[in-house]
Amino acid sequence: MAALVRLGSVCHRGVNPLRSVLHARLLVGQQRDAERPYLLTTKIHTSTPSYSGSGSKAASLHWTGERLVSIILLGLGPLAYFCPGPLVDYPLAATLALHGHWGIGQVLTDYVHGDSKIKMANTSLFILSTVTFAGLCYFNYNDVGICKAVALLWNK
Amino acid sequence: MCVVYRSMARPGFHASRSQFGVLYRHAVPMGTTAKEEMNKFWDKNNRLNRPMSPHITIYRWSIPMVMSITFRGTGVGLSGGISLFAVAAMVLPGNYPQYLDLIHSLSFGPQFLAFTKFALAFPVSYHTLNGIRHLMWDVGKGFQIPDVYRSGYVVMALSVLTSIGLACL
Repeated sequence: MAALVRLGSVCHRGVNPLRSVLHARLLVGQQRDAERPYLLTTKIHTSTPSYSGSGSKAASLHWTGERLVSIILLGLGPLAYFCPGPLVDYPLAATLALHGHWGIGQVLTDYVHGDSKIKMANTSLFILSTVTFAGLCYFNYNDVGICKAVALLWNK
Repeated sequence: MCVVYRSMARPGFHASRSQFGVLYRHAVPMGTTAKEEMNKFWDKNNRLNRPMSPHITIYRWSIPMVMSITFRGTGVGLSGGISLFAVAAMVLPGNYPQYLDLIHSLSFGPQFLAFTKFALAFPVSYHTLNGIRHLMWDVGKGFQIPDVYRSGYVVMALSVLTSIGLACL
């Protein structure tokens, strides 16, 4: 005897899904004696284009980009120590600014909620990151540059 | 999440998992995006003025937890410091060596200087080393709990040692 317990109708009415699960567990518990295995189906998010039609790879590419920039920054560290100069200063400025921009972006994504607040926070971040990059380039051009600055600071 | 239960009437049927295991063969995609679902969650909970469940005030702190938030803290701190430096470079008069001479003239003791160098080097070394640990996770290595703790201890020890080494330079 197949017992079809559909909680879909319950869910449509906006019932707390946790309660539904507990309710379901109770049902299953009652039928435990029958020792019938149950097939559970669940609704999940998928991003396959055949279903949603909006299979954007933007988030995935962003993730990969973040890791690539991190690895580049790791490489620039020793390079800055062994070959200081403008050839390292400007890539260092760009990589630092981008790594910081994306990093703070993740922090904002975690803690800021609500469409307008998210938008405001991200706009402010974008301005800050632009100013940071501009300032670092200005320092590289009009002053001693990042590598030399660290060297001077450390040798004082 | 809506859950549909179905029982198999055929005798002798064995589920490959436990009685309550989920077989994702029967997964059905939802019509909303994850972002929409997240917004719905926050809208509903804010509208109903629900208090946030206590989390960091009651949950026992663990090494991975502390290291994770320190990683974030050092990242935010370093980023803020770099932004501050960049703005200062554009706004403040004079050039960098002049400000260094100013600090020189204040004649701090050698221990204070070494300590300051350590304080500057530690966030960089910790963030870099834990960053490498994160990249290892990103390629799928080191997820077993003993490995998480082991790599964590290595990062912490190396951070301190590296910072001391850099401070002595």
